[in-house]
Amino acid sequence: MKKTVAFSTFTLKVCSLLPALLLFVAPVGAQRFPKPDFESGYEYPELRYAMPSEQLWMLVDVALLVALMSLVAWAVVRRRTRTPVVAASIISVAYFGFFRSGCICSVGAIQNVALALADSSYTVPLAALLFFILPIAFTILFGRVFCAGVCPLGAIQELVNVRSYRISKALAAALGVIPWVYLILAVLFAVTRSSFIICRFDPFIGIFRLGGDIGMIVFGALLLVAAVFTGRPFCRFLCPYGALLSLFSRVSVWKAKITPSCISCELCHSACPVDAIRPPYANKVKESRQHGVRRVLRYMALLPLMAGAGAAALYVASDSLSQTNKSVRLYRMVAQSEVAPQDELSPELEAFYGQGGTAQELSLRVESIQADFRRYSAVAGALIGVVIALSLITLSLKRTRKTYEISDAACVSCARCFDYCPKNRVKATESRISP
Amino acid sequence: MKDKNDSIGNPISRKKFLRVCGSAAAGVAVAAASGVLLRRTLATPPRYLWQIDPAKCTFCGRCETSCVLPVSAVKCVHANKVCGYCDLCGGYYRTNAKELNTAAENLRCPTGAIERKFIEDPYFEYTINEHLCNGCGKCAKGCNSFGNGSLYLQVKQELCKCCNECRIANVCPSDAIARVTHDKSYMLKDG
Repeated sequence: MKKTVAFSTFTLKVCSLLPALLLFVAPVGAQRFPKPDFESGYEYPELRYAMPSEQLWMLVDVALLVALMSLVAWAVVRRRTRTPVVAASIISVAYFGFFRSGCICSVGAIQNVALALADSSYTVPLAALLFFILPIAFTILFGRVFCAGVCPLGAIQELVNVRSYRISKALAAALGVIPWVYLILAVLFAVTRSSFIICRFDPFIGIFRLGGDIGMIVFGALLLVAAVFTGRPFCRFLCPYGALLSLFSRVSVWKAKITPSCISCELCHSACPVDAIRPPYANKVKESRQHGVRRVLRYMALLPLMAGAGAAALYVASDSLSQTNKSVRLYRMVAQSEVAPQDELSPELEAFYGQGGTAQELSLRVESIQADFRRYSAVAGALIGVVIALSLITLSLKRTRKTYEISDAACVSCARCFDYCPKNRVKATESRISP
Repeated sequence: MKDKNDSIGNPISRKKFLRVCGSAAAGVAVAAASGVLLRRTLATPPRYLWQIDPAKCTFCGRCETSCVLPVSAVKCVHANKVCGYCDLCGGYYRTNAKELNTAAENLRCPTGAIERKFIEDPYFEYTINEHLCNGCGKCAKGCNSFGNGSLYLQVKQELCKCCNECRIANVCPSDAIARVTHDKSYMLKDG
């Protein structure tokens, strides 16, 4: 026994010199020791690895998505009642949120689709594609029924919402730009294969998974606390998919409407958690239509100006933006180590040289990535400029409204207004009694 | 001017017209884009799962710390058919082990997840206790440096959340983690 120990410590000492060498020469363990021939009739244990049935889960996910959206669409557009929306919210938070751990999600699918549209070598997973397209299709038909209670992120905020304190118009307008900027930046980082920032900064995923990045969990908890007092802060002031859906819900075919026999009681207006119901408004500014149109057209001169400024700003910043890309970061490390070689290599450099990478080949790759970044950053900056300019111009539009109106873009079809509308309730009671 | 305005109709109907145009445009755009993407998606085999290519892995240890789960979904797996069944195992014992016994200071695994069983002289069978393994890859590094490389890291598919963007893949120095097709959900060394 003693002999073996002595021998082995010797071997270990020799071997301790080797690893640095071995990692370069043979990163993968070679067959250094022969297969043992057992005499005792030993048999290799049989190892089994659980195979996931992803196809099945995808089917369940998509089926439930469609079923819940249909339920909400029926409740909001036909029945004008809230109970099914709450039911859908609970199911969504339980299933899509806690059970399926918040992945797959439509909000994150934006990035897969954007990357697939920009880069034909990338294919979107079928589930991600369906989760991206189906809510948009439903939005074009029925308004933002997905936001109402099918999206677990919206549903969890909907369920904790108690009061709907109104946020000042100016603040809401300023914060309302954020989702668009977030959307544009997310697409920028996705198409350059740098990072999926929507997935990375998902505030509720840590809560759904009961663990994760502590910073994001705290942020998510703060958002939930805010959601108790004001409706859906995430949906309104952060969600990039909500921004996209608001675009489609402007042109949706059917959608939630104010009760036709409205008595202007203002209950729906004060009940709306997302401030989507606009009260009647008499425009005091006497301005002829022609004059108004001219004024807005003059403001439109702002559009190319802002777009140009945004494009220039992000173009200048594109080099620092490109640092989010893994290859660009690696190139910086390689360049640094070529200038001043270090004794101890970082795991990145070890792997890079181990795989036989050369600085030249990498620099070519990084140059093309940075060129992509410059191009896409300019486009993104221009779009951000347009978004800011358009939201400023919208502020100057004052339309006269004779009745209460629902802002199609802002309405998330949560159906709270139906519960508060006295006329809607009468109608619902009648229909319940009559058949 | 006024007459012309009247013949067009009031602003409401114009609004309605614009809305119908908008619906149609949005519908066509979405249908076209989804048609193109759907065709491409259905034409290629789906790559949904994440897996580590053991040929690329450098055992940097980031799998343990970067996974979104409290305990990483990456675990060490052992290819018995590659293993040399050595007594002096580079994955089992530390490089500077004072004595070859099961005392913790001599063992490489920080959680004691490697179990060993005497088979016959001089062979020992090694087994990974998956519940204890945290995917740090220390044993895999040892085994690959001194032995046959029968210990290596794999993503356990029943634990993996299949994040849209794998946090480990983001920091993997050798790009060993990538999405794989269903038939390659495990890249095992013993065929």
